Amino acid sequence: MEDIGFILAVYIATFGSVTALALFILRRGRRLAAQLPDEDKPWI
Amino acid sequence: MATPKTQITDSPAEYSDTKRAPLGRVRSTGTPFTRTIGIATIVSMATLAVFGLVLSPADVRQGDSVRILYIHVGTVWIAYVAFTVTAVSSAAYLWKRTRSLTWDRFAGASAEIGVLFMALTLFAGSLWGRLSWGKFWVWDARVTSTAFMFITYIGYLAVRGLGGSHQQRAKRSAVVALLAVLQIPLVHFSVKLWRGLHQDSSVADRTHVTLQGLMLFSLFVSLIAFSLLYLWLLIHRQRVLAMQDALDDKGLDYALQQRRDEGDL
Amino acid sequence: MLRVARLLAAKDLRIEARSRIVTNQVLPFAAIVMVMFAFALNSDAVVSRVAPGLVWLATLFSLLVLVQRAFAIESADGATDALRAAGVDPAGIFLGKAMALAVQLAVLEIVLLLSAVVLYRAQLRLSGVVLLVTTLVAATCGLALVGTLYGGLAAGVRGRETLLPLLLLPVVAPVLIGATRATEAALGTGGAAVADGWPWVGLLAVFVALFGVGGTLAFGPLIEE
Repeated sequence: MEDIGFILAVYIATFGSVTALALFILRRGRRLAAQLPDEDKPWI
Repeated sequence: MATPKTQITDSPAEYSDTKRAPLGRVRSTGTPFTRTIGIATIVSMATLAVFGLVLSPADVRQGDSVRILYIHVGTVWIAYVAFTVTAVSSAAYLWKRTRSLTWDRFAGASAEIGVLFMALTLFAGSLWGRLSWGKFWVWDARVTSTAFMFITYIGYLAVRGLGGSHQQRAKRSAVVALLAVLQIPLVHFSVKLWRGLHQDSSVADRTHVTLQGLMLFSLFVSLIAFSLLYLWLLIHRQRVLAMQDALDDKGLDYALQQRRDEGDL
Repeated sequence: MLRVARLLAAKDLRIEARSRIVTNQVLPFAAIVMVMFAFALNSDAVVSRVAPGLVWLATLFSLLVLVQRAFAIESADGATDALRAAGVDPAGIFLGKAMALAVQLAVLEIVLLLSAVVLYRAQLRLSGVVLLVTTLVAATCGLALVGTLYGGLAAGVRGRETLLPLLLLPVVAPVLIGATRATEAALGTGGAAVADGWPWVGLLAVFVALFGVGGTLAFGPLIEE
Protein backbone atom coordinates (compact mmCIF):
# COMPACT_ATOMS: atom_id res chain seq x y z
CA MET A 1 0.00 0.00 0.00
CA GLU A 2 1.44 3.36 -0.98
CA ASP A 3 1.45 6.28 1.47
CA ILE A 4 0.85 3.86 4.32
CA GLY A 5 2.57 6.17 6.79
CA PHE A 6 0.20 9.08 6.23
CA ILE A 7 -2.88 6.85 6.24
CA LEU A 8 -1.90 5.10 9.45
CA ALA A 9 -1.02 8.43 11.05
CA VAL A 10 -4.54 9.70 10.39
CA TYR A 11 -6.21 6.53 11.67
CA ILE A 12 -4.04 6.30 14.77
CA ALA A 13 -4.43 9.99 15.61
CA THR A 14 -8.19 9.83 15.21
CA PHE A 15 -8.86 6.59 17.04
CA GLY A 16 -6.28 7.39 19.68
CA SER A 17 -7.48 10.87 20.58
CA VAL A 18 -11.11 9.82 20.53
CA THR A 19 -10.39 6.93 22.88
CA ALA A 20 -8.39 9.23 25.11
CA LEU A 21 -11.28 11.72 25.30
CA ALA A 22 -13.79 8.95 26.04
CA LEU A 23 -11.62 7.53 28.83
CA PHE A 24 -11.01 11.00 30.25
CA ILE A 25 -14.75 11.72 30.35
CA LEU A 26 -15.51 8.36 31.96
CA ARG A 27 -12.86 8.75 34.63
CA ARG A 28 -13.90 12.32 35.36
CA GLY A 29 -17.49 11.11 35.61
CA ARG A 30 -16.57 8.34 38.03
CA ARG A 31 -14.60 10.70 40.21
CA LEU A 32 -17.36 13.32 40.36
CA ALA A 33 -20.13 10.74 40.80
CA ALA A 34 -18.33 9.39 43.84
CA GLN A 35 -18.41 12.85 45.42
CA LEU A 36 -22.05 13.71 44.85
CA PRO A 37 -25.35 12.34 46.13
CA ASP A 38 -27.73 10.75 43.67
CA GLU A 39 -29.99 13.82 43.60
CA ASP A 40 -27.30 15.66 41.67
CA LYS A 41 -27.30 13.05 38.93
CA PRO A 42 -30.31 13.99 36.83
CA TRP A 43 -29.93 11.09 34.42
CA ILE A 44 -30.84 8.44 36.94
CA MET B 1 -8.16 17.95 46.15
CA ALA B 2 -5.04 17.64 48.25
CA THR B 3 -5.80 20.46 50.68
CA PRO B 4 -9.11 19.21 52.09
CA LYS B 5 -7.58 15.84 52.68
CA THR B 6 -4.86 17.15 54.92
CA GLN B 7 -7.35 19.38 56.71
CA ILE B 8 -9.48 16.40 57.54
CA THR B 9 -6.73 14.20 58.79
CA ASP B 10 -5.37 17.05 60.84
CA SER B 11 -8.60 17.90 62.65
CA PRO B 12 -11.50 15.54 62.03
CA ALA B 13 -13.47 16.96 64.95
CA GLU B 14 -13.81 20.29 63.19
CA TYR B 15 -16.16 18.74 60.67
CA SER B 16 -18.31 16.73 63.04
CA ASP B 17 -21.15 19.24 62.83
CA THR B 18 -21.28 19.12 59.06
CA LYS B 19 -24.55 17.75 57.84
CA ARG B 20 -23.88 14.30 56.53
CA ALA B 21 -24.59 14.34 52.85
CA PRO B 22 -26.06 11.06 51.73
CA LEU B 23 -23.60 9.97 49.11
CA GLY B 24 -24.97 8.46 45.96
CA ARG B 25 -24.65 4.84 45.11
CA VAL B 26 -24.50 5.51 41.40
CA ARG B 27 -20.84 5.74 40.58
CA SER B 28 -20.72 6.36 36.84
CA THR B 29 -22.24 8.48 34.12
CA GLY B 30 -23.45 5.42 32.25
CA THR B 31 -27.02 4.23 31.79
CA PRO B 32 -28.27 1.20 29.83
CA PHE B 33 -29.00 3.55 26.93
CA THR B 34 -25.48 4.99 26.76
CA ARG B 35 -23.97 1.55 27.26
CA THR B 36 -25.86 0.35 24.21
CA ILE B 37 -24.61 3.33 22.23
CA GLY B 38 -21.11 2.73 23.54
CA ILE B 39 -21.04 -0.87 22.38
CA ALA B 40 -22.53 0.09 19.02
CA THR B 41 -19.85 2.78 18.71
CA ILE B 42 -17.01 0.37 19.40
CA VAL B 43 -18.41 -2.16 16.93
CA SER B 44 -18.96 0.41 14.20
CA MET B 45 -15.56 2.06 14.72
CA ALA B 46 -13.91 -1.37 14.42
CA THR B 47 -15.95 -1.99 11.27
CA LEU B 48 -14.81 1.38 9.95
CA ALA B 49 -11.16 0.51 10.56
CA VAL B 50 -11.55 -2.86 8.79
CA PHE B 51 -13.47 -1.47 5.82
CA GLY B 52 -11.48 1.74 5.56
CA LEU B 53 -8.04 0.18 5.79
CA VAL B 54 -8.51 -3.30 4.33
CA LEU B 55 -11.74 -4.19 2.56
CA SER B 56 -12.43 -1.08 0.49
CA PRO B 57 -10.43 -0.82 -2.75
CA ALA B 58 -8.00 1.96 -3.65
CA ASP B 59 -9.42 4.73 -5.80
CA VAL B 60 -8.50 4.66 -9.50
CA ARG B 61 -7.35 8.27 -9.44
CA GLN B 62 -6.35 8.89 -5.86
CA GLY B 63 -4.94 5.54 -4.93
CA ASP B 64 -4.86 4.58 -1.29
CA SER B 65 -5.02 8.16 -0.04
CA VAL B 66 -8.80 7.91 -0.41
CA ARG B 67 -8.72 5.87 2.80
CA ILE B 68 -7.98 9.09 4.69
CA LEU B 69 -11.26 10.50 3.42
CA TYR B 70 -13.30 7.93 5.35
CA ILE B 71 -11.96 9.54 8.51
CA HIS B 72 -11.88 13.08 7.20
CA VAL B 73 -15.49 13.17 6.02
CA GLY B 74 -16.73 11.57 9.24
CA THR B 75 -14.88 13.96 11.52
CA VAL B 76 -15.82 17.09 9.58
CA TRP B 77 -19.45 15.97 9.58
CA ILE B 78 -19.38 15.60 13.36
CA ALA B 79 -17.60 18.91 13.82
CA TYR B 80 -20.32 20.71 11.87
CA VAL B 81 -23.08 18.83 13.71
CA ALA B 82 -21.42 19.66 17.03
CA PHE B 83 -21.17 23.38 16.27
CA THR B 84 -24.76 23.41 15.06
CA VAL B 85 -25.85 21.78 18.31
CA THR B 86 -23.86 24.41 20.20
CA ALA B 87 -25.62 27.21 18.32
CA VAL B 88 -29.09 25.72 18.78
CA SER B 89 -28.52 25.00 22.48
CA SER B 90 -27.19 28.52 22.99
CA ALA B 91 -30.28 29.99 21.34
CA ALA B 92 -32.44 27.74 23.53
CA TYR B 93 -30.62 29.07 26.58
CA LEU B 94 -31.03 32.70 25.58
CA TRP B 95 -34.72 32.26 24.80
CA LYS B 96 -36.35 33.01 28.13
CA ARG B 97 -39.02 30.33 27.99
CA THR B 98 -36.52 27.50 27.56
CA ARG B 99 -33.76 28.97 29.72
CA SER B 100 -31.98 26.19 31.56
CA LEU B 101 -28.36 25.51 32.40
CA THR B 102 -28.80 22.09 30.80
CA TRP B 103 -28.83 23.82 27.40
CA ASP B 104 -25.67 25.67 28.31
CA ARG B 105 -23.96 22.44 29.29
CA PHE B 106 -25.06 20.77 26.07
CA ALA B 107 -23.63 23.75 24.16
CA GLY B 108 -20.32 23.51 26.02
CA ALA B 109 -20.02 19.74 25.76
CA SER B 110 -20.82 19.86 22.07
CA ALA B 111 -18.29 22.63 21.39
CA GLU B 112 -15.53 20.69 23.15
CA ILE B 113 -16.22 17.63 21.03
CA GLY B 114 -16.49 19.82 17.94
CA VAL B 115 -13.09 21.40 18.56
CA LEU B 116 -11.43 18.00 18.89
CA PHE B 117 -13.07 16.76 15.71
CA MET B 118 -12.19 19.95 13.88
CA ALA B 119 -8.55 19.45 14.87
CA LEU B 120 -8.69 15.88 13.58
CA THR B 121 -10.36 17.11 10.39
CA LEU B 122 -7.61 19.64 9.75
CA PHE B 123 -4.93 17.06 10.51
CA ALA B 124 -6.42 14.39 8.23
CA GLY B 125 -7.21 17.01 5.60
CA SER B 126 -3.70 18.39 5.45
CA LEU B 127 -2.12 14.94 5.19
CA TRP B 128 -4.59 14.03 2.47
CA GLY B 129 -3.87 17.34 0.75
CA ARG B 130 -0.17 16.54 0.78
CA LEU B 131 -0.85 13.24 -0.96
CA SER B 132 -3.32 14.49 -3.55
CA TRP B 133 -2.28 18.10 -4.15
CA GLY B 134 1.32 17.93 -3.01
CA LYS B 135 0.63 20.63 -0.41
CA PHE B 136 -0.37 20.47 3.21
CA TRP B 137 -2.41 23.62 2.88
CA VAL B 138 -4.27 25.44 0.13
CA TRP B 139 -5.86 28.85 0.54
CA ASP B 140 -9.19 27.51 -0.55
CA ALA B 141 -12.28 29.16 0.93
CA ARG B 142 -13.54 25.96 2.52
CA VAL B 143 -10.19 25.02 4.04
CA THR B 144 -9.54 28.52 5.34
CA SER B 145 -12.94 29.06 6.86
CA THR B 146 -12.70 25.65 8.51
CA ALA B 147 -9.51 26.79 10.20
CA PHE B 148 -11.22 30.01 11.26
CA MET B 149 -14.08 28.00 12.70
CA PHE B 150 -11.58 25.95 14.70
CA ILE B 151 -9.99 29.07 16.17
CA THR B 152 -13.39 30.66 16.82
CA TYR B 153 -14.57 27.74 18.91
CA ILE B 154 -11.30 27.59 20.80
CA GLY B 155 -12.13 31.19 21.69
CA TYR B 156 -15.64 30.10 22.64
CA LEU B 157 -14.22 27.51 25.03
CA ALA B 158 -11.91 30.17 26.47
CA VAL B 159 -14.96 32.37 27.12
CA ARG B 160 -16.59 29.46 28.94
CA GLY B 161 -13.54 29.26 31.17
CA LEU B 162 -13.63 32.92 32.20
CA GLY B 163 -15.21 32.25 35.57
CA GLY B 164 -18.07 33.95 37.34
CA SER B 165 -21.40 32.35 38.12
CA HIS B 166 -22.88 29.57 35.99
CA GLN B 167 -25.50 31.99 34.69
CA GLN B 168 -22.83 34.51 33.71
CA ARG B 169 -20.86 31.82 31.93
CA ALA B 170 -23.99 30.58 30.18
CA LYS B 171 -25.13 33.97 28.96
CA ARG B 172 -21.70 35.14 27.83
CA SER B 173 -20.89 31.95 25.98
CA ALA B 174 -24.35 31.73 24.41
CA VAL B 175 -23.93 35.22 22.95
CA VAL B 176 -20.47 34.32 21.66
CA ALA B 177 -21.82 31.11 20.10
CA LEU B 178 -24.52 33.03 18.28
CA LEU B 179 -22.03 35.67 17.11
CA ALA B 180 -19.94 32.83 15.71
CA VAL B 181 -22.91 31.84 13.58
CA LEU B 182 -22.87 35.39 12.20
CA GLN B 183 -19.14 35.38 11.69
CA ILE B 184 -18.46 32.08 9.96
CA PRO B 185 -20.52 32.65 6.79
CA LEU B 186 -18.97 36.13 6.50
CA VAL B 187 -15.44 34.76 6.74
CA HIS B 188 -16.25 32.03 4.23
CA PHE B 189 -17.77 34.51 1.81
CA SER B 190 -14.91 36.98 2.09
CA VAL B 191 -12.21 34.34 1.67
CA LYS B 192 -14.09 33.07 -1.37
CA LEU B 193 -14.12 36.57 -2.86
CA TRP B 194 -10.45 36.95 -1.98
CA ARG B 195 -9.51 33.68 -3.66
CA GLY B 196 -11.62 34.57 -6.68
CA LEU B 197 -9.01 37.17 -7.58
CA HIS B 198 -6.14 34.74 -7.63
CA GLN B 199 -7.67 32.18 -9.96
CA ASP B 200 -5.75 29.25 -8.54
CA SER B 201 -8.53 27.75 -6.50
CA SER B 202 -8.89 25.14 -9.24
CA VAL B 203 -6.54 22.93 -7.26
CA ALA B 204 -9.49 22.23 -4.99
CA ASP B 205 -11.55 20.99 -7.92
CA ARG B 206 -9.47 17.86 -8.16
CA THR B 207 -11.14 16.59 -5.02
CA HIS B 208 -13.97 14.98 -6.94
CA VAL B 209 -14.12 11.30 -6.25
CA THR B 210 -16.86 9.10 -7.56
CA LEU B 211 -17.56 6.69 -4.78
CA GLN B 212 -19.12 3.38 -5.60
CA GLY B 213 -19.72 0.02 -4.03
CA LEU B 214 -17.52 -0.74 -1.07
CA MET B 215 -16.07 2.77 -0.99
CA LEU B 216 -19.51 4.33 -0.62
CA PHE B 217 -20.36 1.71 1.98
CA SER B 218 -17.20 2.55 3.97
CA LEU B 219 -18.20 6.19 3.92
CA PHE B 220 -21.61 5.33 5.34
CA VAL B 221 -19.99 3.20 8.03
CA SER B 222 -17.81 6.19 8.87
CA LEU B 223 -20.78 8.55 9.18
CA ILE B 224 -22.70 6.11 11.37
CA ALA B 225 -19.70 5.30 13.56
CA PHE B 226 -18.81 8.94 14.15
CA SER B 227 -22.43 9.92 14.78
CA LEU B 228 -22.77 7.24 17.45
CA LEU B 229 -19.46 8.31 18.95
CA TYR B 230 -20.59 11.93 19.05
CA LEU B 231 -23.83 11.00 20.77
CA TRP B 232 -22.02 8.94 23.40
CA LEU B 233 -19.43 11.64 24.07
CA LEU B 234 -22.05 14.39 24.21
CA ILE B 235 -24.28 12.62 26.72
CA HIS B 236 -21.45 11.61 29.01
CA ARG B 237 -19.71 14.97 28.82
CA GLN B 238 -22.96 16.79 29.56
CA ARG B 239 -23.47 14.64 32.65
CA VAL B 240 -19.94 15.30 33.81
CA LEU B 241 -20.47 19.04 33.37
CA ALA B 242 -23.75 18.87 35.29
CA MET B 243 -21.97 17.19 38.21
CA GLN B 244 -19.15 19.71 37.97
CA ASP B 245 -21.65 22.57 38.29
CA ALA B 246 -23.44 20.85 41.17
CA LEU B 247 -20.14 20.41 42.95
CA ASP B 248 -19.26 24.08 42.39
CA ASP B 249 -22.66 25.13 43.77
CA LYS B 250 -22.54 23.08 46.91
CA GLY B 251 -19.00 23.91 47.74
CA LEU B 252 -16.64 21.35 49.16
CA ASP B 253 -19.16 19.89 51.60
CA TYR B 254 -19.67 16.68 49.73
CA ALA B 255 -16.02 16.23 48.94
CA LEU B 256 -15.09 16.69 52.58
CA GLN B 257 -17.83 14.37 53.68
CA GLN B 258 -16.68 11.74 51.32
CA ARG B 259 -13.05 11.94 52.35
CA ARG B 260 -14.15 11.66 55.94
CA ASP B 261 -16.24 8.58 55.22
CA GLU B 262 -13.22 7.02 53.63
CA GLY B 263 -11.24 7.88 56.74
CA ASP B 264 -13.92 6.30 58.93
CA LEU B 265 -13.72 3.10 57.03
CA MET C 1 -30.90 56.09 22.37
CA LEU C 2 -28.91 58.15 19.89
CA ARG C 3 -28.75 61.03 22.33
CA VAL C 4 -27.35 58.68 24.98
CA ALA C 5 -24.88 57.38 22.44
CA ARG C 6 -23.72 60.88 21.53
CA LEU C 7 -23.32 61.84 25.18
CA LEU C 8 -21.33 58.72 25.94
CA ALA C 9 -19.13 59.14 22.89
CA ALA C 10 -18.42 62.73 23.86
CA LYS C 11 -17.56 61.60 27.39
CA ASP C 12 -15.15 58.92 26.13
CA LEU C 13 -13.49 61.32 23.71
CA ARG C 14 -13.12 63.94 26.41
CA ILE C 15 -11.42 61.40 28.66
CA GLU C 16 -9.09 60.43 25.83
CA ALA C 17 -8.35 64.05 24.98
CA ARG C 18 -7.36 64.72 28.58
CA SER C 19 -5.40 61.56 29.26
CA ARG C 20 -3.58 61.73 25.88
CA ILE C 21 -3.05 57.97 26.00
CA VAL C 22 -4.02 57.63 22.36
CA THR C 23 -1.75 60.36 21.07
CA ASN C 24 1.15 59.57 23.38
CA GLN C 25 1.08 55.78 23.31
CA VAL C 26 -1.16 54.22 20.68
CA LEU C 27 -0.08 56.39 17.75
CA PRO C 28 3.64 55.89 18.42
CA PHE C 29 2.95 52.15 18.77
CA ALA C 30 1.25 52.09 15.36
CA ALA C 31 4.13 54.06 13.86
CA ILE C 32 6.76 51.69 15.18
CA VAL C 33 4.76 48.75 13.82
CA MET C 34 4.89 50.37 10.37
CA VAL C 35 8.66 50.75 10.66
CA MET C 36 9.03 47.15 11.85
CA PHE C 37 7.12 45.90 8.81
CA ALA C 38 9.67 47.61 6.60
CA PHE C 39 12.50 45.92 8.54
CA ALA C 40 10.86 42.50 8.21
CA LEU C 41 10.06 42.78 4.52
CA ASN C 42 13.38 44.42 3.67
CA SER C 43 12.56 45.48 0.12
CA ASP C 44 11.22 48.78 -1.23
CA ALA C 45 9.34 47.06 -4.03
CA VAL C 46 7.65 44.53 -1.74
CA VAL C 47 6.80 47.14 0.86
CA SER C 48 5.13 49.48 -1.61
CA ARG C 49 3.23 46.55 -3.15
CA VAL C 50 1.83 45.40 0.23
CA ALA C 51 1.46 48.88 1.78
CA PRO C 52 -2.39 48.78 1.98
CA GLY C 53 -2.31 45.44 3.77
CA LEU C 54 0.29 46.69 6.24
CA VAL C 55 -1.77 49.80 6.98
CA TRP C 56 -4.76 47.66 7.88
CA LEU C 57 -2.71 45.15 9.81
CA ALA C 58 -1.24 47.96 11.90
CA THR C 59 -4.79 49.26 12.37
CA LEU C 60 -5.92 45.89 13.71
CA PHE C 61 -3.05 45.70 16.19
CA SER C 62 -3.81 49.21 17.37
CA LEU C 63 -7.51 48.33 17.56
CA LEU C 64 -6.68 45.69 20.16
CA VAL C 65 -4.89 48.29 22.26
CA LEU C 66 -7.65 50.86 21.82
CA VAL C 67 -10.39 48.43 22.80
CA GLN C 68 -8.54 47.40 25.95
CA ARG C 69 -8.17 51.07 26.76
CA ALA C 70 -11.83 51.91 26.02
CA PHE C 71 -13.06 49.35 28.52
CA ALA C 72 -10.32 49.89 31.06
CA ILE C 73 -11.72 53.38 31.67
CA GLU C 74 -15.18 51.88 32.18
CA SER C 75 -14.44 48.94 34.42
CA ALA C 76 -11.81 50.74 36.49
CA ASP C 77 -14.37 52.59 38.62
CA GLY C 78 -17.29 50.27 37.92
CA ALA C 79 -18.58 52.93 35.54
CA THR C 80 -20.44 50.41 33.39
CA ASP C 81 -22.32 49.12 36.41
CA ALA C 82 -23.19 52.68 37.35
CA LEU C 83 -24.52 53.33 33.87
CA ARG C 84 -26.58 50.16 33.98
CA ALA C 85 -27.88 51.02 37.43
CA ALA C 86 -28.90 54.45 36.14
CA GLY C 87 -31.07 52.68 33.60
CA VAL C 88 -29.09 53.71 30.54
CA ASP C 89 -30.09 51.75 27.45
CA PRO C 90 -27.36 49.17 26.71
CA ALA C 91 -27.83 49.77 22.98
CA GLY C 92 -27.01 53.42 23.66
CA ILE C 93 -23.89 52.45 25.60
CA PHE C 94 -22.85 50.15 22.77
CA LEU C 95 -23.32 52.73 20.02
CA GLY C 96 -21.74 55.47 22.10
CA LYS C 97 -18.60 53.53 22.84
CA ALA C 98 -18.44 52.39 19.23
CA MET C 99 -18.68 56.00 18.03
CA ALA C 100 -15.87 57.12 20.31
CA LEU C 101 -13.76 54.18 19.18
CA ALA C 102 -14.53 54.96 15.55
CA VAL C 103 -13.31 58.54 15.89
CA GLN C 104 -10.04 57.38 17.44
CA LEU C 105 -9.61 54.70 14.79
CA ALA C 106 -10.26 57.16 12.00
CA VAL C 107 -7.52 59.48 13.26
CA LEU C 108 -5.19 56.51 13.56
CA GLU C 109 -5.95 55.25 10.06
CA ILE C 110 -5.28 58.64 8.49
CA VAL C 111 -1.93 58.86 10.27
CA LEU C 112 -1.06 55.30 9.19
CA LEU C 113 -2.05 56.00 5.61
CA LEU C 114 0.10 59.11 5.52
CA SER C 115 2.99 57.21 7.05
CA ALA C 116 2.56 54.58 4.32
CA VAL C 117 2.84 57.36 1.74
CA VAL C 118 6.02 58.59 3.36
CA LEU C 119 7.66 55.34 4.42
CA TYR C 120 6.44 52.87 1.79
CA ARG C 121 6.05 55.31 -1.11
CA ALA C 122 2.39 54.46 -1.54
CA GLN C 123 0.80 56.72 -4.17
CA LEU C 124 -2.45 58.52 -3.49
CA ARG C 125 -4.41 59.33 -6.63
CA LEU C 126 -7.27 61.70 -7.22
CA SER C 127 -9.55 59.21 -9.00
CA GLY C 128 -9.49 56.91 -5.99
CA VAL C 129 -10.29 59.46 -3.32
CA VAL C 130 -14.01 58.71 -3.12
CA LEU C 131 -13.35 54.98 -2.87
CA LEU C 132 -10.62 55.52 -0.29
CA VAL C 133 -12.82 57.67 1.94
CA THR C 134 -15.76 55.27 1.67
CA THR C 135 -13.49 52.36 2.53
CA LEU C 136 -12.07 54.18 5.52
CA VAL C 137 -15.55 55.03 6.82
CA ALA C 138 -16.97 51.53 6.29
CA ALA C 139 -13.96 49.69 7.72
CA THR C 140 -13.75 52.05 10.69
CA CYS C 141 -17.42 51.50 11.53
CA GLY C 142 -17.02 47.74 11.23
CA LEU C 143 -13.91 47.60 13.40
CA ALA C 144 -15.39 49.93 16.01
CA LEU C 145 -18.62 47.92 16.29
CA VAL C 146 -16.92 44.55 16.60
CA GLY C 147 -14.22 45.92 18.86
CA THR C 148 -16.80 47.41 21.22
CA LEU C 149 -18.82 44.20 21.23
CA TYR C 150 -15.96 41.89 22.13
CA GLY C 151 -14.34 44.50 24.34
CA GLY C 152 -17.54 44.65 26.38
CA LEU C 153 -17.54 40.88 26.60
CA ALA C 154 -13.98 40.69 27.86
CA ALA C 155 -14.24 43.75 30.11
CA GLY C 156 -13.71 43.17 33.78
CA VAL C 157 -12.70 39.53 33.64
CA ARG C 158 -9.36 38.01 34.41
CA GLY C 159 -7.17 37.24 31.43
CA ARG C 160 -8.93 39.68 29.10
CA GLU C 161 -5.68 40.95 27.63
CA THR C 162 -4.99 37.56 26.11
CA LEU C 163 -8.56 36.61 25.34
CA LEU C 164 -9.45 39.70 23.33
CA PRO C 165 -7.05 39.10 20.41
CA LEU C 166 -8.14 35.46 20.20
CA LEU C 167 -11.79 36.47 19.92
CA LEU C 168 -11.40 39.63 17.91
CA LEU C 169 -8.89 38.81 15.18
CA PRO C 170 -10.86 35.95 13.56
CA VAL C 171 -13.97 38.13 13.49
CA VAL C 172 -12.29 41.06 11.78
CA ALA C 173 -10.64 38.92 9.10
CA PRO C 174 -13.31 39.95 6.54
CA VAL C 175 -12.55 43.61 7.30
CA LEU C 176 -8.84 43.03 6.75
CA ILE C 177 -9.51 41.32 3.43
CA GLY C 178 -12.11 43.80 2.23
CA ALA C 179 -10.40 46.99 3.36
CA THR C 180 -7.01 45.90 2.00
CA ARG C 181 -8.37 45.06 -1.45
CA ALA C 182 -10.44 48.24 -1.61
CA THR C 183 -7.47 50.36 -0.54
CA GLU C 184 -5.28 48.66 -3.16
CA ALA C 185 -7.87 49.59 -5.77
CA ALA C 186 -8.07 53.16 -4.53
CA LEU C 187 -4.29 53.60 -4.55
CA GLY C 188 -3.78 51.61 -7.71
CA THR C 189 -1.33 49.25 -5.99
CA GLY C 190 -0.20 46.51 -8.35
CA GLY C 191 -2.13 48.08 -11.22
CA ALA C 192 -5.57 47.64 -9.63
CA ALA C 193 -8.41 49.67 -11.14
CA VAL C 194 -10.63 51.88 -8.99
CA ALA C 195 -13.78 50.05 -10.08
CA ASP C 196 -12.39 46.78 -8.64
CA GLY C 197 -12.64 48.25 -5.17
CA TRP C 198 -16.38 48.74 -4.89
CA PRO C 199 -17.40 45.08 -4.38
CA TRP C 200 -15.07 45.06 -1.37
CA VAL C 201 -16.75 48.12 0.04
CA GLY C 202 -19.98 46.15 -0.36
CA LEU C 203 -18.48 43.38 1.74
CA LEU C 204 -17.52 45.92 4.40
CA ALA C 205 -21.06 47.35 4.32
CA VAL C 206 -22.55 43.88 4.88
CA PHE C 207 -20.16 43.42 7.80
CA VAL C 208 -21.15 46.75 9.33
CA ALA C 209 -24.86 46.01 8.93
CA LEU C 210 -24.65 42.50 10.43
CA PHE C 211 -22.52 43.42 13.40
CA GLY C 212 -24.30 46.72 13.93
CA VAL C 213 -27.60 44.92 14.41
CA GLY C 214 -26.10 41.85 16.10
CA GLY C 215 -23.98 43.96 18.44
CA THR C 216 -26.84 46.24 19.45
CA LEU C 217 -28.91 43.19 20.35
CA ALA C 218 -26.13 41.25 22.03
CA PHE C 219 -24.49 44.00 24.04
CA GLY C 220 -27.26 44.24 26.62
CA PRO C 221 -27.15 40.59 27.73
CA LEU C 222 -23.34 40.75 27.71
CA ILE C 223 -22.90 43.58 30.18
CA GLU C 224 -25.89 43.05 32.49
CA GLU C 225 -24.37 40.52 34.79
